[in-house]
Amino acid sequence: MKIVNDHISNRRSWLQQTGAGMGMLGACQVLADSSEGLADLRDQTKLNGTHFPPRAKRVIHLFMNGGPFQADLFDPKPALQKYEGQRPASADLLTERPTGGLLPSPFKFEPRGQSGLPISELLPQLSQHADDLCVLRSMHADNPNHGPALLQMNNGTILPTRPSMGAWFLYGLGTENENLPGYLVLCPGRPVRFSILWNSAFLPSEYQGTYVNHSSLDPDTMLPNLKNRSWSHDVQSQQLSLLRDLNEGYLRSRNDHPSFGARLQSMETAFRMQSEARDAFDLNLETKATLDSYGEGHFAKGCLLARRMVERGVRFVQLYYGNGQPWDTHSNHDKTVPGLCKQIDQPISALLTDLKQRGLLEDTLVVWGGEFGRTPTSENGSGRDHNHHGFTMWMAGGGVRGGMSYGNTDEFGFKAVENKVHVHDLHATILHLLGLDHERLTFRHSGRDFRLTDVFGRVVRDIIA
Amino acid sequence: MTKLLCRLALRLSKFNGLWVLLVLCVFCAPMRADEADFFEKKIRPLFAEHCYACHADGAKTIHASLLLDSVESIRLGGDSGPIVQPGDPDASLIYQSLVDAKGLQMPPEGRLPEQQIQDVRSWIARGAVMPSEETAREMIKGEIDYESSRQFWSFQPLEMAPLPEVHGAEWPEQRLDYFLLRGMEAAGLSPSPKADRRTLLRRTYLTLTGLPPTESQASHFLNDSHPLAFERMVDRLMASPEYGQHWARWWLDLARYTDRTASWLSQEGQAFYYRDWVADALNEDVPYDDFVRRQLATDQMVKTTAKDLSALGFLSLSPTYWKELKLPCEIIKVIVADEWEERVDVVSRTFLGLTAACARCHDHKFDPVSMEDYYALAGVFASTRSVAKPLIEDAMYQPVETAKKKVAELLSDVEKLKKETKEIQSKESVDGGAKATDLEMQIAAMLREVEAIKRETPYYDAPLVNALTDESLYVVRAGATPQDGSRLEYRPESRDLPLFMRGNPNRPAEMIPRRFLQLFGNERPFEKGSGRLELADAIFSDAKDLAARVIVNRVWLAFFGRGIVDTPSNFGIQGSPPTHPELIDDLAFRFIQQGWSLKRLHREIVLSSTWQQSSLATDFALSKDPNNQWWARMDVRKLTFEQWRDSMLLGADSLRSEIGGEASSLEDPRNYRRTLYSTIHRRDMSTTMMIHDFPDPTQHSPKRIGTLTPLQGLYALNGPLMLRQSSELLERLKRQEMMSVEDSVKKVYGWLYFREPTQDELRLSMQFLGQATSSVTDQRWQQYLHVLLASNELQFLD
Repeated sequence: MKIVNDHISNRRSWLQQTGAGMGMLGACQVLADSSEGLADLRDQTKLNGTHFPPRAKRVIHLFMNGGPFQADLFDPKPALQKYEGQRPASADLLTERPTGGLLPSPFKFEPRGQSGLPISELLPQLSQHADDLCVLRSMHADNPNHGPALLQMNNGTILPTRPSMGAWFLYGLGTENENLPGYLVLCPGRPVRFSILWNSAFLPSEYQGTYVNHSSLDPDTMLPNLKNRSWSHDVQSQQLSLLRDLNEGYLRSRNDHPSFGARLQSMETAFRMQSEARDAFDLNLETKATLDSYGEGHFAKGCLLARRMVERGVRFVQLYYGNGQPWDTHSNHDKTVPGLCKQIDQPISALLTDLKQRGLLEDTLVVWGGEFGRTPTSENGSGRDHNHHGFTMWMAGGGVRGGMSYGNTDEFGFKAVENKVHVHDLHATILHLLGLDHERLTFRHSGRDFRLTDVFGRVVRDIIA
Repeated sequence: MTKLLCRLALRLSKFNGLWVLLVLCVFCAPMRADEADFFEKKIRPLFAEHCYACHADGAKTIHASLLLDSVESIRLGGDSGPIVQPGDPDASLIYQSLVDAKGLQMPPEGRLPEQQIQDVRSWIARGAVMPSEETAREMIKGEIDYESSRQFWSFQPLEMAPLPEVHGAEWPEQRLDYFLLRGMEAAGLSPSPKADRRTLLRRTYLTLTGLPPTESQASHFLNDSHPLAFERMVDRLMASPEYGQHWARWWLDLARYTDRTASWLSQEGQAFYYRDWVADALNEDVPYDDFVRRQLATDQMVKTTAKDLSALGFLSLSPTYWKELKLPCEIIKVIVADEWEERVDVVSRTFLGLTAACARCHDHKFDPVSMEDYYALAGVFASTRSVAKPLIEDAMYQPVETAKKKVAELLSDVEKLKKETKEIQSKESVDGGAKATDLEMQIAAMLREVEAIKRETPYYDAPLVNALTDESLYVVRAGATPQDGSRLEYRPESRDLPLFMRGNPNRPAEMIPRRFLQLFGNERPFEKGSGRLELADAIFSDAKDLAARVIVNRVWLAFFGRGIVDTPSNFGIQGSPPTHPELIDDLAFRFIQQGWSLKRLHREIVLSSTWQQSSLATDFALSKDPNNQWWARMDVRKLTFEQWRDSMLLGADSLRSEIGGEASSLEDPRNYRRTLYSTIHRRDMSTTMMIHDFPDPTQHSPKRIGTLTPLQGLYALNGPLMLRQSSELLERLKRQEMMSVEDSVKKVYGWLYFREPTQDELRLSMQFLGQATSSVTDQRWQQYLHVLLASNELQFLD
């Protein structure tokens, strides 16, 4: 029940007084109270902000929950045509459900941009950004089941007991804007497993993700308790002023205990947050041209919100495509996918353009992908099963090389075979881009130093610009 | 790897005498060392590069049941039998597949470079020598020197410490005060004065019951000049049911309590029976050893009553991970092993302050806990199954079970008949109509029978609790091949687990009998069922001194906000050393001697001079001991969310006092119960609770990590609870006899803070309410009361 240690509050108020704020300094070195106590802080205090100069300061993760099929979009596999209906030994991999013979993707690829990166006809607008995309074709994960795979993509393990990557980012870097939560999770509904995907587990609760259901775009309802049902802004301002006076009197009677100062600060931040967060979530403040460029639909609105957030210094924005697992095409795959792609093509393209125009893309990392991919073999004729053996993700901005693909799957796109990138490697690489060494970003808990990457992970240096 | 080993060696060398790091490259026979070296240099790396993706424990789909990442499994081979015939490459399956001799090309992506194929050939031809598994094992095993490990302070036998000599001998009120005073004096500090009566009143109420006093309770104490007034108040509070309600939550943090378990589990059991059992047991001051025994193994104890079964919720409500049975059992086994690890973790940390789960993949790197120890404990949990059990005697429940079985059969028949009826109706044949009517009559009759059974079987709806039974879990293939998925099989006999190499259940080594930790000197295997009771008994016999140290420290932490040991669930070598080693030993020694009574310990602390000190620090004390290590003052602490919310409810006289029973949502506007009874849903936690530092209920939480965040600020400004409670407070005010605005302000200060407002506060309050003292609107009052509820004074404990 120990509350924020004096050390933190002193430090925090010192930071505020000197105008630095938490954003300048990683939170983990000011956090003086790990779940195992002060003794464990020794190692943690060694971290002075980032471990090395960051290439990215914030991350947008576009999460295609359900799992898109790699060979429809970024990993062309002509051999599927040749072996249509067959199941060669090398395509005889176990996935969650039984699948049959190979099922070619009907979608055409063209080399795009100066780099000639092949991208599917399903993503014509995104294709214009080919030279910014770094396509990881050799992703692989450990479990072909949604829940565990979603957990792994978020926290590195299939267990619900570990902190999510966003929590690690905040723990390592703090936030750049005290007036907004540093880690926002947008979804027009609820992804499978829900809040456990963005929890802080054994890290302090201030690092947990804040969930925003943006199926309603009313800015007042997006953050919990953002708007007062009863009191006007003026009344609140009077209340806050009385509160400050009363608290200051109390503080004097307590010999100026630093915790109280910190709490007062957080109340005032909350008060400012009401208007700042309201503005941040208010899409009506965008020009018609911008709104039009992103297009319609929840995902488009989510992309635009994501840009508004990173622009304001939110460290990590995760945008789930939709409620449940929309990309989970166990049947009618070919009929469903064009619609899904249509929903993401224009918004992602607009997001990249917009970030670039605002000079944000260079230090904002955009990550795209699902919790796994899908099988090149058919499930009941028209569907595709989950595939954790090999799938595609891509990154853009934030210090990665554009116009390249990295790694390869086998000739059918079933399994990653060359320059494989495990989810741990992805995490290690993202942390690296953020200026954090995944082996040094640790938190002592339950007798050992935990990491996002557990005891694994390699930084994929070849993709760093 | 080398880097890692060096780092490990460096770290180990810091802990002199505990570990002997074995030379890593000892091969089975010196004369063959070169051969083994060839394997390590040429063959193992080749396997790792080209084969591990499908044939190693890292590969989640293991092909042909063949593993190439351990010496043992290379010898064993896979589904097609042995892969190596030492001395005869051409007859060795592995060589055949490398050269595509039998139509089986490995690796599938293409033939290896000729040099590598030749290496394999020559390795087999020379006898396929590999280092022994023992040697390989030594890579992950140190040698634990138990004798010297036992010298560590927390593993030493307890002794009653001699009473320390102090100068200010008139200050101590309780035995513990001597130890604290000694520390202060040695540090050049002297104790702070006793806190004022009002502060003590609030501190004592909130610490013992989680609630502030009511108006009448407050005035009763503040006006009681009897010399024993404080002691009487303490005894009264410790005898009140609110005491158990508050301390139950303290325990539930450790027990990772949840009201709702995963959706795929049977939801028959009612979790709240466990929560209420904890509260009752603490109210009854069930001795701590018994309190724990009941939670681990009440079903195996002689004197168990049906009600006691609720105690098993500690383990029965453990987090359970989703097992997709379509997947091969290699994957499911890992998930099940993760669950066993969770049980080892929670039991060893909660009761012993040991992080035994660290020893799943390798011997514990710092503490004397071996992999064998880990699997000896894990076997207990592998032999334990969560079940729902009725709160009535088994004999009385027997007919209900028969009845439920019958009902299930009937309902399944009904389903079949319904399907049949539908099919007939869809066909529209000539005699179909009559047949369908006949079927429908049959269905109706069966449903009537179901109703009759339910009606006529006594105790049919008897409540079920989350309990345990001794059954062991095996993950087996559902069919002939991995493609057929997995099946969970429960068997009545208990099981020992094999040691899993690197923690991987797909790499079993020798069997480890279920038993207690070797550190505590008793290696007798457990024999009674799963061994849960023997485990509990071992904790309170062989390891009782450590168990007592751990629990008295948890109690200390709850009263002071910091433990004597600052790592409450890690009393191992990496834990914090105690700030007051004699104190913790003395407390623990007497705790055992005095019958493991938590209430007695609580009482001693509350009545101590140390705990009753003021929290006001002098500049001298602040500079001398900024972190307050010597407790020459009390710390100011933030209330838990539960204490804060309950204070707001009580202050407005709107707290409902029912005890126990089903939880209800915290966000429900009609929820006026203590926060203890708000629904905890492991997979869908209340946002309000999460932003207020409520611990993650998927895991043991040794202490709350307090934060101050803007989201909490938003809650204080706008949270529906604040608006509701300020309105409730206003209603309470309006129920009073007419009084002036000034008197009303004073009244509320009494309810919330148990004091009069200062002149300044009164002035500020009147200013806010408007000078026109006669006509303050309800709304303005509510706005004012909201501020008082959001104040620091209400949220902090002096």
